[in-house]
Amino acid sequence: MSENKGLLSSGWSMVARNKRYIFWFYVLNVALARFGATAFSNQVHEILDHSLHANRLVQGFDVSVLVEMFMRPEFGPTSASVGSAAGFALLFLFATALFLPGVLQGYASTYRLPREDFFRACGRNLWRFVRLLIVAFIVFLIVGIPLFGLHGVLERKAAESTNELLLPEVQFAGLAVIFLVMAALRIWFDLAQADVVLSDQRAVRKSIGTAFRHTWKNLGRLLASYVVITIFAAAVLVAGLFVWMKFVPAASVVGAIVVGQLTLLLLLIPRFWQRGVVVTYYLQHMVAPIAVQSFTPAPVVLPVVSEPVAVPIVPSAPPEPQAS
Amino acid sequence: MKIRWMILFFPAVSVIALSLLVQHHAARAAAPQGALAAASVANAASVAPGPLTIPDTTLAINSDKPMSQRVVHYEIDAKYDAAQHAVNATEVLTYRNLTGQALDHFPFHLYQNAFQPNSTFVREAKVAGNRDTGYDKWEAKEYGSEDIKSLEAVGQGDLTSQIQYIQPDDGNKDDKTVVDVHLPKPVAPGDYVQFKIAFQTKFPETQARSGWKRDFVLGGQWFPKVGVWWHGAWNCHQYHAMTEFFADFGVYDVKLTVPQYEVVGASGIKVGEVSNPDSTKTVTYHGDDIHDFAWTASPRYKVKEDGVFQGQMGPVHMRILMQPAHWSQAERHEKILRESLEHFENWYGPYPYKTITLVDPEPDSAAGGMEYPTFITGDSSWFMPDGLYLPEVVVEHEFGHQYWYGMVATNEFEDAWMDEGINSYTEVKVLDSILGKNTSIMNLAGATVGERELQRLGYIRVADLDPIAEKAYDYYSYGSYGGITYGKTACVLLTLESIVGEDTMAKAMRTYFMKYRFTHPTKEDFLKTIEEVSGKDLRWYFNQAIYGSQVMDYEVRKIESFPVNWYVEKKDAGKKGDKDTVYRSSVWLQRKGDFVMPVDVEVKFENGEKVREIWDGASRWTKFTYERKSKVESAEIDPDHKIVIDRNDFNNSYTDEANGKPARKLENYWQFMTQWIGQALAWWAV
Repeated sequence: MSENKGLLSSGWSMVARNKRYIFWFYVLNVALARFGATAFSNQVHEILDHSLHANRLVQGFDVSVLVEMFMRPEFGPTSASVGSAAGFALLFLFATALFLPGVLQGYASTYRLPREDFFRACGRNLWRFVRLLIVAFIVFLIVGIPLFGLHGVLERKAAESTNELLLPEVQFAGLAVIFLVMAALRIWFDLAQADVVLSDQRAVRKSIGTAFRHTWKNLGRLLASYVVITIFAAAVLVAGLFVWMKFVPAASVVGAIVVGQLTLLLLLIPRFWQRGVVVTYYLQHMVAPIAVQSFTPAPVVLPVVSEPVAVPIVPSAPPEPQAS
Repeated sequence: MKIRWMILFFPAVSVIALSLLVQHHAARAAAPQGALAAASVANAASVAPGPLTIPDTTLAINSDKPMSQRVVHYEIDAKYDAAQHAVNATEVLTYRNLTGQALDHFPFHLYQNAFQPNSTFVREAKVAGNRDTGYDKWEAKEYGSEDIKSLEAVGQGDLTSQIQYIQPDDGNKDDKTVVDVHLPKPVAPGDYVQFKIAFQTKFPETQARSGWKRDFVLGGQWFPKVGVWWHGAWNCHQYHAMTEFFADFGVYDVKLTVPQYEVVGASGIKVGEVSNPDSTKTVTYHGDDIHDFAWTASPRYKVKEDGVFQGQMGPVHMRILMQPAHWSQAERHEKILRESLEHFENWYGPYPYKTITLVDPEPDSAAGGMEYPTFITGDSSWFMPDGLYLPEVVVEHEFGHQYWYGMVATNEFEDAWMDEGINSYTEVKVLDSILGKNTSIMNLAGATVGERELQRLGYIRVADLDPIAEKAYDYYSYGSYGGITYGKTACVLLTLESIVGEDTMAKAMRTYFMKYRFTHPTKEDFLKTIEEVSGKDLRWYFNQAIYGSQVMDYEVRKIESFPVNWYVEKKDAGKKGDKDTVYRSSVWLQRKGDFVMPVDVEVKFENGEKVREIWDGASRWTKFTYERKSKVESAEIDPDHKIVIDRNDFNNSYTDEANGKPARKLENYWQFMTQWIGQALAWWAV
C-alpha cells in the first residue's frame, strides 16, 4: 500500500507540476468537439430559433420536444450530426496519440520541458506510437473478443435463471472482470509507451516485451493504482452530473456550460495521473541503471630523487558508462 | 221443381266446396310455418326446454342481476402440464341463439394455432412487423397449437369429423386459427345448443401476451372460443399479427388443475381449491358478464391481496401477483390500480366486478401489458426509479381496458381504435390527473415526458399512412397500426375537446360507456354519441380525422413589420423607446397539410398587446394585417395548445427575433457528449 501511495503520490506530483498539459489537452478537446458539434448546432438553430415551442426545452427539459425535433425532416439525417461528432471524437484520440510522447517526456523531466523538446519527442515517437497503437489494438481484440463472448454466454445462461437478479449480478461482475483485464492491458501498453519515449527505444517490440514483464511482475501494485484512479474519475463524473442536475437551474445555459466543462476538465486529470504513475514506475524500476566502473588510478611510482620534481599527472578519462 | 232444386243444390254445393277449399288452402298456407317451426324445434340440437340455459349467477359481480345479455356459458376443466407447457381440457359451451334466425354452423377461434410457421399471424409478422418477434428464424419453442380432439353437439352426436378449418380473411389454407362446425340440425332463434369439446393447447414461449417463460405461464386465448354473431353474420376472423379479439358476454366456470407448488391467478373470482393426491391442486374460478377468461401460474409469485377498493357498486378486491425481485414495487402497483379505479368510476361509470387481478409477469417475457376481463398484466423491472412511471402507465392502460374492451366490448379485429385508441385517450386524461400533464411518463433528473406527447409522437411518425377507421389487419405495418390506433385516436379525441369542450367530451364519454357497456357498439355508435351529447354536427371533423387520412400541419409562414410612412426618414424608427412610429405589420399563415380545421391565432406586439384571431383554414394561406404603434413580436397558431394532431408544433409559431437559448442548451449537451466520448475513447485506446 505504501508503494502504491508512492506511485500515486509521485504520479500526482507529476500531474501537478505539469498542469499545462491538461490545460492544452482540454483546449484540444473543446476545440475538436466544437467542430464536431457544428452540424448539430446548425440543424437545431434552424428549427428552434424562431419557435415558441422550443421554450419547453428551456423551462425544464421536455424530452418529447427533443424527439420531435429529431423527427423533423428539416433536421436531416441524425447520422450527419452523429457522424461528425464521432469523427471529431476520433480526431481527439489521434491528437492524444500524437502529443502523448511529449507529455511523457515532460513528466520524466526534472525541469520544465522546453516547447521544442516537447514537440521533438512527439515527432520522434510518432511512428513508434502508431505501431504501438496497432499492436495494442490487436491485443485488445484478441483478449476482448473471447472475454466479451464469454460474458455474453454467461449472460444468456443467467437470463435463463428464475432468479431475475442473477442477470444484472452476472453482468456487473462480468463487466468488472473485463474492466480489470482491460486495465491490465492498458497498464502494459502505457508502460510500453513510457519505455519507447523515455528509453528512446526504436524497437517497439522490445518495449512491449519489457513492459509486459514489468506488468506481470507488479500487476497487483500497478492495477491497484489504476483502479483507485478510475474510481476517482467515476466520482468526478457522478459529482459533476449531480451538481449539474441539482444546482444548475434548467433555464441557465451558462451555468450548465460552466459545470459541464469543469467536469470535463476534471475528468482529464485521472488519465494524466495514470500516466504519472507509469512514468514514476518507469523511473523507479525500468530505467536502465548506469553502470559506473569504479576507477582506481594506478599508483604512481615516483623515483626517489634528492630534489622533488614536479611531475604532470594526466588522469585517464573514466570509461563510458555502458548499459548492463 | 227439379230445376228449382238444382238451382238451390249447385250453389249450395259450390259454397260448401269453396269454403272447404278455402279452409284447406288456409290450412296448407298456415301449415308450413307451424310445421316447420315444429320440425325446427323437434330437430334443433339440445332444444331449449329442459335443462339448457345460461346461468344468471351474480357471484362475481356487485349486482343482484346479470348486467349483460349472456350468450355463452363456458365450463372448462383443464389440466396444465407444466413440463410440456400444455393444457388438456374439456369444454362445455352452452350457446344461446339470440340472433333472431336459425343457426346451422358455428365458427370457433383456435388462437394458439397462430404460432406456426405458415400461419397468417406469422406470415404477416414477418412482413409488417410484430410486437414481440419478427420471426427472422423459426425456433421450435415458438410453436403453439390448439387441437380439438373431439367435438360433440349434444343431441346431434359427434361432429369431430365434420369440423373444417376456414380462412375467411385471406384464404391462407395453412392457417388453422378458425374452425367451422356445421350442425345437422340448425339451432332455432331463442334456443340453446351445447357443445362438448375435448382439446389440447400447447403454448409457445410467450408471444402476443400468451404462453410460457421459464416456469411461468400466461394462459390467454387458450380454449376454443365461439365467434360473435354481429350485424347479421358470424364475425370470426383469423388471428392476425396486428389483431386482438372479439367475443360474446356470458358466464365462465373454469377448473384449473396445476402442480401443487403453483401460485395461480385468473379472471373472475376463486370459488374453490382442492388438493389432489397426485401432487396437483384444482382451483375453480367463476366469472359473470365477462367475454374471455385468462389465467396465470408461477411458483414464485408473491401475492398482495389485502387491498380493497370501495367502488360505487360494492367492494373490489385487488389481487396483485408480483415477481419476487419487484416486491418493493407492490405498493406502487396497488396505488396506481386504486387511483385508476377511482378515476374511471368517477369519470366514466362504475366498475361492477368484485375483483381485479394484476399480474406482474415473468421478466423478459412477452406477457407484459395485456388485458383480459378482471385480469391484467403489468410490466416492470427490478430497477425502476421513482420518477420513471412505466409500471404506472402499463397498469393504468390495461385497467382502462376493463372499460374499453372489457365492458364496452368493441370488435378488436375491425375497430381496434375503439378499444386501444379510446383507452389511450382516457389514459392521457387519467395519468395527466394523477401524475401531472407533462410528467406522466417520466420526471427524472430534470427531464420530463408526458403521456400526451408520447401518444402524439407515436402518431406523427406515421401520420399519413392509414386512417383510424381501418381494419386492424389492413394497416400498412405494425408501426402504423400502433401509431394510428393508439396515438392518432388519442390525439384526435384530445383535439376534439377543443371543439366540443372538455366537460362536454367527458360527459359524452360517460354517456357512451353507460349506454354501451356490455354490448358490441360500432364506430358510429361512438361518434353519434359525441354528436348527440355535444349537440354539434361533427361530420366535417370525423370524416377527416376518423375516416380519412388527412394530415394537419399549420404554419406561421412569416411576419413582417415596417413603418407606414417608411419613406419618411426618422432617426428613432425601429429603435427601442420609439412609441410614435406607426407600423404596418402582417402575419402570414399557411395550411400545409390537407386537414382543414378552424384555428385560433395569437399575435403579440412588442408593446405587450395581444390580438386573437380565428382562421377557418379553408384556403391554403391567409394574412392578417395590423397598423399599430408597435411591431409584431410573434404569432402563434393554437396558443392554448389544444390541438394535438398538428404534425409539426415547431412551425406553429414564429418570433420576429431569434431566440438562440433552446438551441444553445442542446448544443451544450451535444458538445458535452462529444467531448466525453472523445476522452473515453482516448482513455482506452491510447
